[in-house]
Amino acid sequence: MNVLNIALLQLKISIRDKRTIIFMLAFPIVMMLVLGSALSNAFDNQVKIDKMKVLYKETHNTSIAPYFEQFMKAAKKENIHFYKASDITDGKKAVRQNHYDAYVEVSNKGMNFYGSERNSIESSIIQGMLTAFADKYNLVSQVAKVKPNQTQAVLAGGTSHDYVKEMSLNAKKAPGSMDYYAVAVTTMIALYGAIGATFLLRGERTRNTAVRLAVAPITKAEIFIGKIIGSIVLNLLSLFLIVAVSSFLFKANWGDHLGFVFIILLSEVFLAVSFGLGVSYMVKTGEAARTLILIILQLASFFGGAYFKIEGADGMMKFIMNLSPITWANTAITKNIYNNDFTASLQVIGLNLGIAIVFLSIAIVSFKRREGF
Amino acid sequence: MNVLEINNLTKKFSDFIAVDNMSLTIKEGEIFGFLGSNGAGKSTTINMVAGLLRSNEGEIKILGKNIANHSKFAKRNIGIVPQDLAIYEDLTAFENVRFFAGLYGLRGAELKDRVEEALKFVGLVDKQKSLPKNFSGGMKRRLNIACAIAHKPKLIIMDEPTVGIDPQSRNYILNSVRQLNEMGCTVIYTSHYMEEVEEICSRIAIVDHGKIIAEGTKEQLKAIITDTKDIWVDVKSNENLEENVIKEINGVNTVQVEDNVVKINSQAEVSNLNKIIQYFINRNIEIRSLEEQAPNLETVFLTLTGRNLRD
Repeated sequence: MNVLNIALLQLKISIRDKRTIIFMLAFPIVMMLVLGSALSNAFDNQVKIDKMKVLYKETHNTSIAPYFEQFMKAAKKENIHFYKASDITDGKKAVRQNHYDAYVEVSNKGMNFYGSERNSIESSIIQGMLTAFADKYNLVSQVAKVKPNQTQAVLAGGTSHDYVKEMSLNAKKAPGSMDYYAVAVTTMIALYGAIGATFLLRGERTRNTAVRLAVAPITKAEIFIGKIIGSIVLNLLSLFLIVAVSSFLFKANWGDHLGFVFIILLSEVFLAVSFGLGVSYMVKTGEAARTLILIILQLASFFGGAYFKIEGADGMMKFIMNLSPITWANTAITKNIYNNDFTASLQVIGLNLGIAIVFLSIAIVSFKRREGF
Repeated sequence: MNVLEINNLTKKFSDFIAVDNMSLTIKEGEIFGFLGSNGAGKSTTINMVAGLLRSNEGEIKILGKNIANHSKFAKRNIGIVPQDLAIYEDLTAFENVRFFAGLYGLRGAELKDRVEEALKFVGLVDKQKSLPKNFSGGMKRRLNIACAIAHKPKLIIMDEPTVGIDPQSRNYILNSVRQLNEMGCTVIYTSHYMEEVEEICSRIAIVDHGKIIAEGTKEQLKAIITDTKDIWVDVKSNENLEENVIKEINGVNTVQVEDNVVKINSQAEVSNLNKIIQYFINRNIEIRSLEEQAPNLETVFLTLTGRNLRD
């Protein structure tokens, strides 16, 4: 009962502290909104292709000319427009100057293609279509040599759309910016629970209420457990609201296994609270403990990708990134959401609990040894 | 019946002996004044009685039971009013008292009744739903007391409960102490205000260097120093005053100057009043009034410790 009383007290005094609420709720939601909106381009996996322009030059009376005419008509339906170059036009220069996406020379010997390096996606699409056309023309030529009357049948054996086929690789399963920052900011705020934890017991001393707790007929263990439970519940409540807001307001994807996500977050909160408590007993003053934790949290947030996604890191950078509990939690939750992979989650939960126990043990030993409170 | 019994209590902090083989007994129904200047050892003693510090030697008994073996029993019977306010600013007055009383095993209707009773006692029942951050200093002090008495302790330890409050709140608190005592509580009262101790305490102990150097009723303590007298000289200006020169006058023990009042403690049997007056005349210091004071606790304390209580 005393444990419950102390846990409820912790919840009450934290919830009534406006600064705590702003920090635990408003800050992450605003951060999610700002970063998710501002950096949305970095996560955009859809490329919008506008009108594609191709400059071409054709040698007179080529055998390919009628088929190429047909191809150009078909390509127009795909928003690829061909423009005939005059004899004196330098096609390659026109592409370099970004007037066209590609330049093609058509002769009896075949086709020469020169694509824009600047508009590589457009250039690749055009190249792909021309290759498909060349293959088809070669096929028609071969058929014409053997059975000339069958050429029309070969030509009619497909539609203009055959030149372009739209494909997608798990398009719906890739995280957008809001999905990413919903997870990253939530795991970051879970770790920020360490700051509040430095004041869990120290706060009672600075408020002088430690005296009353110490003279009451309750054990130190009851005070300790009550305080930790109160802090963990407060952090979990705040994370629950952040997840709810990100999910309903920002439409962030939290996957189909939200319960598992919260178990990961619970283990991270437990790690954060234990870490904060442990440090508060390892460092002499409250201010020093707070500063040390803030520095560690900032580094963990930066290398954990809470501010911006770090991709393709290797060597020392990757090693440092892997030291951040935010990286662990992000990876586990992302695999959980997008791959239904729980193996990483179990590892992270185990790691979080293991480290939490170390810091908690430091706090327990120091608290027991201390006279009074 | 002894509410508190301290036997040969010693507390050391490294090489410093804060409490030195102290023994003390406080009987049921007493208001016991604990006097000592800063660092004398009174707070350390109180902290050991309350269970906040462990002693190196000796024993403490609350209601006849050794606190080392009956810690919970002792704690249930003690209420402490710390010198520094010990309340939660973000909880209402009612919630503050209810939380602390709840730690003593009170539940349900009994808890609610006790909380209301405590708030009524300190005159805060109308403010029970308000947050202490909106209270005056005196109201906070009263709430500080309510948090210590809701569980109806047998022994209440009040450590400087009137520091920094207005005279009206001070009177309220002093009356509350008397009422608590009338209701059956034994009170240990520490204060830097000698007149408060003199006014409400039935027995007083003077602590110095971790030891009790004098103990008894105020009359008994005053009787210790019948060999001295106090002469108070009210002067127009103390500009030309030299305390050391007055001290050289035959029979003078100590000289203190507070604003324009010169307090001289002198041996009772030495007739030196003429010489003292002559000093002021020679220095052209105008005397506005002069009176010989009967010894008070302040004089007793000063004589026994050589220091003022506020030093």
